[in-house]
Amino acid sequence: MAAAAVPGPGPGPGPGPGPGPGPGPGPGPGPGPGPGPAEAAAPGEDAAGGGPQGPGAARLARLPLARVKALVKADPDVTLASQEAVFVLARATELFVETIAKDAYVYAQQGKRKTLQRKDLDNAIDAIDEFAFLEGTLD
Amino acid sequence: MAERPEDLNLPNAVITRIIKEALPDGVNISKEARSAISRAASVFVLYATSCANNFAMKGKRKTLNAGDVLSAMEEMEFQRFVAPLKESLEVYRHEQKGKKEARKDKDKKTDSEEQDKSREEDNDEDDERMEEEEQNEEEEVDN
Repeated sequence: MAAAAVPGPGPGPGPGPGPGPGPGPGPGPGPGPGPGPAEAAAPGEDAAGGGPQGPGAARLARLPLARVKALVKADPDVTLASQEAVFVLARATELFVETIAKDAYVYAQQGKRKTLQRKDLDNAIDAIDEFAFLEGTLD
Repeated sequence: MAERPEDLNLPNAVITRIIKEALPDGVNISKEARSAISRAASVFVLYATSCANNFAMKGKRKTLNAGDVLSAMEEMEFQRFVAPLKESLEVYRHEQKGKKEARKDKDKKTDSEEQDKSREEDNDEDDERMEEEEQNEEEEVDN
């Protein structure tokens, strides 16, 4: 699998996500730009690096790895975690925060509010199966 | 003074930025909601770590690796994270390789450490291959 080190937008959301003409992302890593719960465009994902990024600067974790690692170490059953594992966890947590914020926002919209409130979060947690692990932990 | 794991919070500023970028312009977030999301993020890390650790133990490994975390995501029903996470991991690995080569030129004393790291990477690749094989087996069973 050719590493996507070639400069360019890469196989993500943004201009011309499909196979289409042009350089052709080649071994498309999976079914297109992972739609997720909200709109597929989600330009915010590309801006993970902050604005226009050079090749490879995209999608670096913004959460400090040291803090994530501290949480990992808090688990008495964990002996060691590789650097990569901590990185993937950090990235996953960012995706999680985006996801839960968007899902909670749906409830704010229902209430015709432009401010996300705690109860929107509670509603999302109650309604969405994947967030069941959060029940009872936020108080 | 023992800190409860849930008290280990991730930096507020970063959490807030992630939230704001996920939401449309003009949307605000109350302090309570933001701190609840921050707490949820910590719980997420703890839960994902525990899940990932189960996979590591199943593989008789003492070190959590990236593959374990990806497996944990599927287990936690966050499959949609897996593809973007794999992408990010590729980028991260490239960067790490670049750094490693720069370090190699400077001092060659850390040879053993590098061997360990590349072993970890090999393991990750093996795990990915294993996952693919498992999927193939499942398909055959369905037929």
